[in-house]
This record gives sequence, structure tokens and C-alpha cells, in this order.
Amino acid sequence: MKKLSLMLLVIFAAALVVRAQDDAPQGAAAASQKQAQAEAVERGRKQFVGTCAACHGEDATGGRGPDLIRSSIARHDKGGDLLGPVITGGRPDRGMPNFPFNDSQVGDLVAFIKAQIALFDLHTRTPGAYPNDIPAERLASGSVEAGKAYFYGAGGCAKCHSPTGDLAGVAGKYTPVDLQTRLLYPAGKLPNATVKLTSGETLTGVLQLNDGSYVAIKDKDGWYHSWPRGAVKDLKVEDPLAAHVELLHKYTNADMHNLFTYLVTLK
Amino acid sequence: MKKLALILLAFAASLPAQELDSHKLLNPGTDSWPTFNGDYSGRRYSTLAQINQTNVGSLTLAWAFQSRSQGSFTSMPLVVNGIMYATLPDQVFAIDARTGRQIWHFQRPSQGGGNRGVAMYKDRLIFTTPDAHVICISARDGKQIWQIQIADPAFKGFASMAPLVIRDHVLVAGSGDAADLPGFLLSLDPMTGQTQWRWDSEPKPGEPGSETWPQDSDVMSRGGGMLWLTGTYDPELNLTYWGTGNPHPVENSEARPGANLYTCSIVALNPDTGKLVWYFQPSPHDTHDWDTNMTPVLFDANFKGKPRKLLAQAGKEGLFFVLDRTNGKALVSAPLGDSDWYSGWDERGQPIPRKEAEPQPDGALVHSAITLWNAPSFDPQTGLFYVNERDWINVYYLTIPGKKAQGWAGRDFTVVGKPFLKALDYQTGKIKWSKEGTGRGGGSSGILTTAGHLLFTADTSGNLVALDPATGKTLWHTYPGAAMGSAPMTYELDGRQYVVTPVEGVIYAWALPAR
Repeated sequence: MKKLSLMLLVIFAAALVVRAQDDAPQGAAAASQKQAQAEAVERGRKQFVGTCAACHGEDATGGRGPDLIRSSIARHDKGGDLLGPVITGGRPDRGMPNFPFNDSQVGDLVAFIKAQIALFDLHTRTPGAYPNDIPAERLASGSVEAGKAYFYGAGGCAKCHSPTGDLAGVAGKYTPVDLQTRLLYPAGKLPNATVKLTSGETLTGVLQLNDGSYVAIKDKDGWYHSWPRGAVKDLKVEDPLAAHVELLHKYTNADMHNLFTYLVTLK
Repeated sequence: MKKLALILLAFAASLPAQELDSHKLLNPGTDSWPTFNGDYSGRRYSTLAQINQTNVGSLTLAWAFQSRSQGSFTSMPLVVNGIMYATLPDQVFAIDARTGRQIWHFQRPSQGGGNRGVAMYKDRLIFTTPDAHVICISARDGKQIWQIQIADPAFKGFASMAPLVIRDHVLVAGSGDAADLPGFLLSLDPMTGQTQWRWDSEPKPGEPGSETWPQDSDVMSRGGGMLWLTGTYDPELNLTYWGTGNPHPVENSEARPGANLYTCSIVALNPDTGKLVWYFQPSPHDTHDWDTNMTPVLFDANFKGKPRKLLAQAGKEGLFFVLDRTNGKALVSAPLGDSDWYSGWDERGQPIPRKEAEPQPDGALVHSAITLWNAPSFDPQTGLFYVNERDWINVYYLTIPGKKAQGWAGRDFTVVGKPFLKALDYQTGKIKWSKEGTGRGGGSSGILTTAGHLLFTADTSGNLVALDPATGKTLWHTYPGAAMGSAPMTYELDGRQYVVTPVEGVIYAWALPAR
């Protein structure tokens, strides 16, 4: 279990380095800075694993020594001002030896520790790459055969979809979590509407608004039309995702995992 | 000339200071909205009826206040003595509640976002900041009087809630659940900011409740349970009611077996001492980030033929509870919508969570009704409790398994969330009427009910609406250009009733056409 968690953290930490840079201005300078930062974290990780991990754990969550993710010194450190002296001077009173690292080595270690803290601080709904980086192998815990059987049988997926048609190569189009979420409900497809006006005219298009007071559609040529609800005699709304909605109330976790395990084979 | 000056002087001297009379907190009257929820009860029901079903169709814009700021109003404005106090993160605006004109503006830049409003104590305003400070400023001119820090931003601590003033106590708390912080509620001296008492969301080892945490680790000492939404108060019982947030580490079950008291709980505290009097736990051993911070709404009403002192809450876990607020005993436990994460009710009327619904490394599909912090309302005229709810389907992933998990140890992704406005019978928990939202996305908005037989809120297409609270029928609507993240409030000045709706960076005040 611990090994799994460590492995995951390593994967996520790498993603984080990329994510943390997302805000930086674009351009060659920014890209090279990003690269330099990622390299510093990686050098720091190697040094940390070789020197510090025995006491502080490979992921810096502690062991014999304190948890650095929850360390006030690490949290308040600015560019090594607090961690530097502890690393190079040690804490003899608490049994921590000193390590004669030079400034650039200390900088790498600090970069790694800070990256670990940022990793643990990530909120579930923080936008960015990290949460979507759960590897497909973890999500594909079901059976390809059972997933395929569900696709052609109980799920009724084959009524609308084909692994050689619209789903060809689907596994490569989305991140694993997106693929799992989208197989459940590919949000974003708006309902189709047939609008019969009191004037007698009938129009069809993609529904844009139906709030009780107004109806709006976009027709097949891409033009937007809207009417007061009173001018609409009859409104028929057809949800292209109705079959997905229906399935959402039938899926077991096993169905979901089997179906995903099958779909990731569609590379 | 001298005589005139004297008269003027005498007149000037007789003008009262615009401070908040402490009796107004107990009986706000119709000309003020002196606390986050308008009064201590949290019902968000106003006795004003000038705007009512017969004339709401002619509602018109009285004024609009443009903050000219990037921020979005998620706060409840207060109105005291004709002055409105509204906040954006790190900013307070004093606005003429008759005209919408700015009186003063306080700004103190920090990092982060989200603020839910000020509390008022006499001539002072008290509010929280994204960098976890509590600040006291003068209501007269916005000049700062004191500030203190209540949490450490280096550990992702922040603060957003509007404090609650009870007599000479300012009740306030911090937020943050990225770095395993313990939850707390502070009572501060309004004059100095000094702590009078502190209530911790977690018990100390050996204390009652500590048996609901693992005994072989110190996870309880940083177990979360933030109090991030303003509580309510019953002056007769002298009890203040608060909801607490989710336990830490978040969305990980293995690190903290047990019910994890007093996280995801409704707690009744003595406001003079901070001592816990009773608790009720709507989401025991929470593994889905289902904070139970939502307003504990207080009302006195007949229950099965007997007058009772009641507390009703709809929480993020998607359940509706009616408790006897003298002792915390559950009278009604009912679902708000479609939920499959619990198997039934325990002997206290609390849900029994299903193990299979806990986050899994490969994902667990969970159906849950859900309501967010946006205010519900109880209308004593209809006897109905109103809440904006969504029937959510989420996949929960356990990303840091094991006992050593920290911070956010899981991830949740919403597959779909069908929105509803629901009206619940407080005596049965049954849904009297339900109105499906017209949009799938958008924000959730708070609710106001009035004696004019009106319910004000926003729908999920972004319209501001006035509904018949008995049936849900729409009686008035307008599109303000964006979603209302906050909630409507109302007050009356010079014989004119205003309904106020903060929408993104603009506050709109609606009224009947001026005569």
C-alpha cells in the first residue's frame, strides 16, 4: 500500500512541476525557467532520497524524523532561508546531523521539499493536470471481456456507438479520468429542439435556452433565434444523452470499471 | 445668523450616531438587516409585505451599485441605520441604502478569494480576510481599529465567513483543508480582538468524542472540521448553533476509522463559555467532503400537535434534519433527493454510510443529493423549508491510500448534477413541491421568503425570480447578466421596501415604482 502511494506521489509530483508553472508567462525564457525548475526538483529528489529519506521518508512525510509536509520551518521557508541552516548546521539537540551541502545543493533540496508541500496542498478541484493524471492502469481494474459484453449487451452502448467508428482510438483522445467521466456522461452536448410557433412555423435546432420565459435555438446553419415562451405553441426537446442518463441509474461500480477497462483497449 | 448657527448646532448635536443598537440584534425590525442572515434565527424570512403577489410583476430597479472590482459578491450585505455594508475579499463598501451611492471604501490587499460579509458591533464592523486575519474597522469611515491573525496561510489557512456577534462576543473561525488543520471557533473581544474562548472541533485525548478517532495515531489533533459559515443563536436557550466541515485527511477512510467527532456535525455551544452542550452528526466518518456547515435554521412551530423549539438543516451530504434544538434529538431525518451512499439511519437518526460508497483507487460511482452554502429559507406562513439542491452523480477516487495520507487524499469528479429548488414539509421531510432547474450548470443561489407570500432566489439559467412559495409558480423574473452567488435580502426605508440581489460585481436593489 505504501509503495503504491509513493509511486503515485512520484507520478503526481512530476505532473505538479508542470502544473505549477502554468501561470508563468509564455515564451522561451519562461519555458527554460520551467525546465530549470523541474530539473532542480529532480536533482533535489535524488539528493533527498540518498540523504534525507532514511529519516524523513521518500515523500518527505516523515518517519524516524519529522514530517516535512507539516513542518513550520519548511512551510515558512523563503528560498532556503530557514531550511538552509537546518540542513547545513543540523539539529544536534534532536539527533539530526549536519550535511555539508553547497548553496546550489541546498537550493535543489528546498525545491524538492517545496514541490512536495505544493503537491500535498493541492485541492481536489484545483484546475490543471494533476487530478487527471490518475494512470489508466489504476482505473482499468475490471475485465475487458465483461466490459465488451456490457457494451454489446446490457449497456446497449452499441446502439449508438462503435469501437471501429466513433470510438476508434478513443483511449488516446482523453486522459484516463476524462475518459471514465465521459463514458458515464459526455457533458456538453445540448438537447435538440423542435419549436412550433403560434404563427404556424416549425423550426428545429440545438436548444440554447428554455427558462420558462424564453426559448432559444441555434439552427443547422448556425443562426441563433429566440422567442418569448408565449410565441411558442409547442416545444419538443430531445436529449441526445438520454440513454447515458438512464444508464447512470443502473451502473454498478463493476459495470463502470469493466466498461472503462474495455474502452482503454480502443487505442 | 448666530441664532441660525446655534439652531443648526443643536440640530447637528442631536443627530444620532449610526451605530448598531444591541437590541436590534434581537429584534431587527423591518428597516435593518444587521447580521449575515438578517436575524439570529437563520430563517431568512422577512415580515415585509409591501412587495407581494399582487404587485411583484411591476418590480423595478431602484438603484445599482457597481463595485468596479474584479471580485464577485458572495457576501450578504448588512443594512443598519440606512447604510449598507457589503464586502468583496479584502474590501468593504459602505453604501447609502436609499440611493446606492458609495460612502466609503476600505481595501487591504492580500491573496486569495471569497468573503461572506461583515458583522456589526455598535460602531464597528468586523470581517475576515483571505490571509486568515480578522479585521475591525470603524463603521463611520472605514478606518482600521484592530486586526489579528487566526490561522497560518503557509498551512493553507484562510478565512471567509461573516462573524456572528452575540452580546460582547465576536464568534469567528478560519478555513482551509489542504494541510490537515484542526477546526476551531473563537470568541473575540470586539474592543480589542483578544480571544475570550476557543472551541476545538476535535476533542483532546481522553475526552468524550475522542473514542471516535484512532487511538494509535495523532490524526485527531489535526482532524479538520472547519466552521466556515455563520451560525445561528437562540437567546432564550442561550445556545449558538454551528455546522462543522469535513474531517482530514479528506476523502480517505483508512487513516481515521470512527465517526470523527465533531466533524460534519451540528453543534450547540454556550456563547459565554464555548462549552459544547449537544451535537448531532449528519455525515459520520465523512469520506466525500460533505461539510455540514449549512445554516442551522431555528424556528418555533407545532410538531405533531405540540409546540417545539426546532432546528432544521439541509447539508452538503444531501439530507434534511429537523432536531429539537433544546437537546439535539432528531425528529425528522430525510433525503433531499436521490442518494445511494447510506444504508439507513442509526438510533440517533444519523445516516449509516455504506463502505462501498467510499472513494476507491479506481473510482466509486456515488449518487448524492447535495446543497451548498447558499442560504435556505423557512417560511412560517407556508410551514415549508426551501433549499436549492442538486442530484449529483460523482466519481470519487482515492489518490493517497493508507494511514499516512495527508491533506486532500482523494479526488472527486462530478459526472452530472441535476438542479432543483425544493420545498420540504418540516414535520415529515416530504417534498411538497419541486421545481427542476432550467440549466444544468451555473451557480447555486440563496433564498429569501417574505410575508408578501413571495420567495426570491435565482434559477439555474441565471434569472432572478420571485415565486409563489406555496406552489413554486414564477411571478416575476429578470436576467441580471450573471448568476447570483449570494442570496437576496430585504429592508424598508422611508416606507419603501427594497429587495437586494448581489450579482457578481454589482448589487441591484429592486422596489415598486416610486410614487
